[in-house]
Amino acid sequence: MAKKGFRSFLDDLDVADELRHVTKPVDCRQLSALAEQAEEATMFENIESYPGWRVATALVSTRKRLAVAMGCTEKRIAFEFESRSAKPINPVTVENAPCQEVVMEGDAVDLTTIPLPLMHLFDGGPYISGTFAVSKDADHGPNVGCYRLMYRTPKETGIDLVSPSDMRFYYQRALDKGEPLPIAIAVGVHPLDMLAASYKAPIDISELALAGGLRGEALEMVKCKTLDLEVPADAELVLEGELLPIGWTADEGPFGEFSQISGDVKWNPIFRIKCVTHRKNPIFYMLQMPWENDWLAAPVTEAAGLQALRIASVQPVDIRAPVGSCGYWSLIASIKKRPGEGKNAVAALLSVAEVKFVIVTDDDIDIHDPDELDWAIAFRVQADQDAVILKGARAKHIDPSVKSWLLGKGGLPTTAKLGIDATIPEGVPKILYRRIKTYGQDRIKLEDFE
Amino acid sequence: MSPLATNLKAALEAKAKQFHDVVDDNMEVPWPDFLRAWGELREINILKRDDEGAYYIEKT
Repeated sequence: MAKKGFRSFLDDLDVADELRHVTKPVDCRQLSALAEQAEEATMFENIESYPGWRVATALVSTRKRLAVAMGCTEKRIAFEFESRSAKPINPVTVENAPCQEVVMEGDAVDLTTIPLPLMHLFDGGPYISGTFAVSKDADHGPNVGCYRLMYRTPKETGIDLVSPSDMRFYYQRALDKGEPLPIAIAVGVHPLDMLAASYKAPIDISELALAGGLRGEALEMVKCKTLDLEVPADAELVLEGELLPIGWTADEGPFGEFSQISGDVKWNPIFRIKCVTHRKNPIFYMLQMPWENDWLAAPVTEAAGLQALRIASVQPVDIRAPVGSCGYWSLIASIKKRPGEGKNAVAALLSVAEVKFVIVTDDDIDIHDPDELDWAIAFRVQADQDAVILKGARAKHIDPSVKSWLLGKGGLPTTAKLGIDATIPEGVPKILYRRIKTYGQDRIKLEDFE
Repeated sequence: MSPLATNLKAALEAKAKQFHDVVDDNMEVPWPDFLRAWGELREINILKRDDEGAYYIEKT
């Protein structure tokens, strides 16, 4: 069986009839608007001023396409993520890699030769939105994350390093010594690798091994041309360089955030690029914000929710992190309930990262059906008994309702969280919830009367 | 400084503009040329931001 890679995933999308090919010439200033209007993922085959390049986007901006990437049904995504991530596979190093078929070093480095898109109305510049960013620390080893890059000059970008992350921690340690932090940015890797990179793993857990677990095969890595770092061998494009030891001093943003809000100007470090490598006939990956980011966040949040429920000894039946809350801020779960477990489940799910809104139902409710959820909330909830409010929990800056601008530089916001136990209340006979069913529904068929 | 970068500089000295406004004013310019000119302004570190995120350049 062929190894999983960015191009094999594009083939999978073609087979699933989920990839639109646009062959007319397209300018980099048109890419995002066109992609937003397409129902499918899009491959732009002809980019004006960039002969030889193609641009692929919106590859996992629906749950259906994420299911294609996972190779499972839409409802199984969270459970597959949970089980595969429990079986990590270490990466292997290869000598020759497609991502290094073309190499540009030193003066030859020129980001204007790469089709960088202008994505959103209020963006501070063109962005590289879908990155697999590798860094390393002497004590903690390699780390992978996803960080956006804003074009500044042919050899420099901004990088959003405001939020707490392992790479921010590594950068701070280098900065304390007055040293730059070497990093490598891979663009155009399999969505499962992006999922692993976006997973908030504890600092000593390898995202590379997690990627292997999700793939079911070892991720092949290759040593960078100019750095003591390794990158995915089948990436389309790699930027090698360093974060300058200037701290959070350069303007970056706004950018269309994964919260579906145009952000504001931030102060961030600068990434100076010393070497660019890419495939022959490369494909630039434009991660479509916010949908693609949100659908990549959802299984990670869902799997964390499953884990929290199991630790609380509650049996989950289904779970989803709705895309309306960016796959991040809300969790809805159905459970096989024993007395009291509705509240246990609410408490467990409210403990997940920055999740601030939770609904728990019994397993007779299809949590993917909003009408079913409304029904459960309407008839199984007493607000004074079934709503749980948790105050002063950790929050994220980009949620405007936490008013982080009042905290001053470096202040960390907190939030209140709300959970709703929409399971059948203890003491209410189940027969009171017997649903309407038409007489003869199972044996009298309309088609027999046509 | 290239003629295009000189034009961009003059425009941002006259008025603060969002990046998309600067782009809209130069739609006839091939994208790589525009990015190179923008990079020239970045390299001499004269671009400033206002509260709305618009770019401007202080006249010297």
